[in-house]
Amino acid sequence: MLKFLIWPVAAVALIALPYGLSFSQQEILVFLTINILLVSSYRLLTLTGEWSLAHVVIMGVGAYSSAMLTKNLGLYVPLSMLLGGVIAALIAVVLSFPLFRMKGFYFLIGSFAAGEIIRLLWKHFRDPFGGAKGIKGINPMPDFSIGFYDFDFFEPISYYYFAGVIVIICLWILWRIERSPVGLTFHAVHWQDKLAEASGVNLRAYRTLAFAIASGFAGICGALLAHYIGTINPGSFDLDYMVFVLTWAIVGGTGTFYGPILGCVVLTILNEVVLRELGFEQLRPLIYGAILIASILFLPNGLESIVQKFTRRSART
Amino acid sequence: MLDLLAQTGLNAVYAASYISLVAVGLVLIFGVMGVINFAHGELFMAGAYVVVAVYAKMHMPFFLAVVVGLIFVGCLGLLMERALFRPLRDNPLGGLVASIGFLMILQSLAVMGFGVRMEFIPPVTQHVVWLSDTISIPLARVYVIVAAILLLSALWYFLKRTRFGWALRASAQDPQAAELQGISIAQTARIAMFIGAGLAGIAGALTAPLVSVNPHMGHSVIVTAFIVIIVGGVGSLEGAIIASVVYAFVHTFVTTFYGGVIADITGLVLMLLVLIVKPTGLFGSADRA
Amino acid sequence: MITRIMAGGLSRRTFLKSTAITAVGAALPGVSLAAGEPIKIGFLAPLTGSVAAWGKPGLDGCLIWAERVNAAGGIELEGGKHPVEFVSYDNEYDPAKARTGATKLIRENGVSFIMMLGGDTWPGVQPVADKTGMLFSTLLPSDLSPDTPTLVAPAEVHPIYLVTGVDYLADTYPDAKTAVICAQDDSLGLPSVATYLAAFEARGIEVLEEPLLFDPATTDFAPIVTRMLSSNPDIICLDTCYSDYVHPICEQLFQQGYKGKMISATADFYDQMIAKTSKEFMEDFIFQFPDFDDPALAADNINFEDAAGFYAEYSKRHPGQWGAVSWEYASIMDLWKAAAEKAGSADPDAVLVAMKDDGKGKHAFGDAVWWGTELFGIDNALVGNWPVVVIEDGKAVIKEFRSIPDWYDQHGDLLIKHMQAYNQMYDQRS
Repeated sequence: MLKFLIWPVAAVALIALPYGLSFSQQEILVFLTINILLVSSYRLLTLTGEWSLAHVVIMGVGAYSSAMLTKNLGLYVPLSMLLGGVIAALIAVVLSFPLFRMKGFYFLIGSFAAGEIIRLLWKHFRDPFGGAKGIKGINPMPDFSIGFYDFDFFEPISYYYFAGVIVIICLWILWRIERSPVGLTFHAVHWQDKLAEASGVNLRAYRTLAFAIASGFAGICGALLAHYIGTINPGSFDLDYMVFVLTWAIVGGTGTFYGPILGCVVLTILNEVVLRELGFEQLRPLIYGAILIASILFLPNGLESIVQKFTRRSART
Repeated sequence: MLDLLAQTGLNAVYAASYISLVAVGLVLIFGVMGVINFAHGELFMAGAYVVVAVYAKMHMPFFLAVVVGLIFVGCLGLLMERALFRPLRDNPLGGLVASIGFLMILQSLAVMGFGVRMEFIPPVTQHVVWLSDTISIPLARVYVIVAAILLLSALWYFLKRTRFGWALRASAQDPQAAELQGISIAQTARIAMFIGAGLAGIAGALTAPLVSVNPHMGHSVIVTAFIVIIVGGVGSLEGAIIASVVYAFVHTFVTTFYGGVIADITGLVLMLLVLIVKPTGLFGSADRA
Repeated sequence: MITRIMAGGLSRRTFLKSTAITAVGAALPGVSLAAGEPIKIGFLAPLTGSVAAWGKPGLDGCLIWAERVNAAGGIELEGGKHPVEFVSYDNEYDPAKARTGATKLIRENGVSFIMMLGGDTWPGVQPVADKTGMLFSTLLPSDLSPDTPTLVAPAEVHPIYLVTGVDYLADTYPDAKTAVICAQDDSLGLPSVATYLAAFEARGIEVLEEPLLFDPATTDFAPIVTRMLSSNPDIICLDTCYSDYVHPICEQLFQQGYKGKMISATADFYDQMIAKTSKEFMEDFIFQFPDFDDPALAADNINFEDAAGFYAEYSKRHPGQWGAVSWEYASIMDLWKAAAEKAGSADPDAVLVAMKDDGKGKHAFGDAVWWGTELFGIDNALVGNWPVVVIEDGKAVIKEFRSIPDWYDQHGDLLIKHMQAYNQMYDQRS
């Protein structure tokens, strides 16, 4: 009974959420929503045991593709977003040929290099990528009305609903993938790779598949971001951003589906809302760094371990 | 044209020497601790700021400042080992995040202590060694080259000829077996962290008068060091040194003849090519990845 | 963006009126401030991260400016005097955070005016500016376009002022006939390269090879200097390199035995450059940013109030941190204060109208005109004279003020040609 009630209550809470926030917090909420999908898609890749540093750049591939498709070809924005995801996935497949010859630390740094090459290409070719200044004036999502609600995509609330629906659909797909036989094989590729290989699993094909799916969703994140802010440049997808994604995932914990989401939400609220409100604007990197260290030392299994402890106890009683 | 080639070659030798100091330290830490020290560039930065404080602000002799830089940053390494990497020994990703946190703290401390702008360091020497009418190298750069050769030779001797070095190599290759041999893992970890961090610190201290010292200077250093240790093969000190030289020459020559941005792309493509041909780097072995 | 609003049958002004009851309108700055209530000014620039050096010193300068103005009673609007208060938001040089910050400053803090560094962050803020009609300022006029009616560039008219330095160089050293340019490959470096190319061409100075572009992360400049010297130029042009590049490049030029002329947009901390090279080497170095204790800035035609006093106070509080950004934001505030007092209101629309009234404005370096239609598609850059500064006997000295519009009237076509070649014209910057 309770289980059936959870979903409608959660839906109402998510719909009502922005009305309880200040204007700037609504803006942060939009970016947070997009980042939740980003970090969840990143987790899919980590299921196979590989940690990439190219994820944010691949997100940028989606952003650049979608922006250029709408600007140059006049494509309808939602369609170009989807294509942005597809192109990001295709680029990931191409990158997988050199990258999946490597493992572990080599893969980590190899993916970083591949990402940097893409970023330098954006910088170097002013035509068509706009060089260091990037692309400006990206077409916004066209406004529309669904009868009882008018979407004005300048307003963060409207965009939050729009992005929120897309993100929830994508999260649902990610969840289904993880629960499918394919997803279970991803786990096997990580934990029992020798065994999996012996039982006829093509390790590389599954790694590539996970990489492509994760990248596709990252590409959609990039497109969502690009059409909201209206501008992207190579600096928007730099190592600093990647480091944030990495820390969200690890601080949250990658053992569960909700772990990275939890990490993303908690750390974003701390960094963007709490520390700014407390007047530590210029001290944020210092405090954020200390929080990272403290959380990894005292919660080595991530924030998800708190939730797990709590849910297990309540299950027992 | 020949002059230009020779001058560029000299520039490359200098670049190779400070890159190899940083990269060797990073390899040593990875080899023994098994963690990727993302804060290595900031250790380099800390070394440079020691020179700012001791040499530029307190007017002590430069070489004293360099020694202080080595010891201070070495101790930062010990601090990282004790506070971060030891509790996280079985958690390499945790070590990565902890080093990112440490990086942010070091950067912020530099901003708080010294401000966001670049620091001024008076030149140690303005003497320039002229090899011909057109080919020259500033003496301050010669210092860096000489120091790199001396330090790396000393390290080589230490690793190959002393008992400590033998223990260090043993625990880098196989920690369990090393422990069975009666080697203290904690002891070797401390030595590796001190040397690894100290090398980054001394590289930062030596080059401080030659570059722009600011709180974010570590970023480009760590990127270069990552490329170099991957090309050389993670865990291989010889590989790191050879890769430093190769990278420095390729990067410097391409910068001079084709431009800086192309040189960065070339460096990265070179690295990917090496990995495609030999996925464990030039001198790496598969089991350490 | 404009077309989008027009398509909806709304001009910006009617939009503001029609939405007065919605969230957007409700949070617009109060048109009438209660007597004595502080006027809030937004400061939206990088305060942390690697671009912080372009924001933080400016905020420090603004705080001194506010103290000085408040000590003198504040800003006089209709209905009394008001103190000034700065509200800052660290945008980390990220367009998304800049957008969030602009929203917060406008809708929550109720600021009347927002100062930005501009560059990469401006396009993220532009939709907010569009919808709210808030008045913004940027240090980089290359942000201006016909779509930015409420963005002004009233302090630094980068990069056009660079032509004054080249003109001075050509007049003073007619024998210097060849030049080489190096620049960082970013949004500051490229328009600057185009301007120098135009200025050199206008004076018949041959640029020997393609400008050398380097990545902003470069730390070792020996290879670049070696390359520049290999073509034996009479002039080396450092473009708009940041001081993190200018210093090591000059040191390398010195050590590799360069003897010719040098010209650069900035030479912040030039005393340190002299200490790193020699007084003789740095003698006659040409750049564009004076010390504020320069006697020429005490003259009547200078609109920056008590420049020397401001400089002294700044140096006392933040020793060794003085640079161009330290005064630029404060000088924008001078202009804004004058316009607000003229309008009798802090309302963004009214201030903008008063500011651009009769097409003239009081720029820090003397009276200037609102200008830029050809170059930016909008005349929101305040352009007039700009100083040419030369190092003489170890001290920066203003040699002369030269008119930028005069240069443009003669050689504007050259500038446009080179800007187009680098994709820097407003209709190309997409």
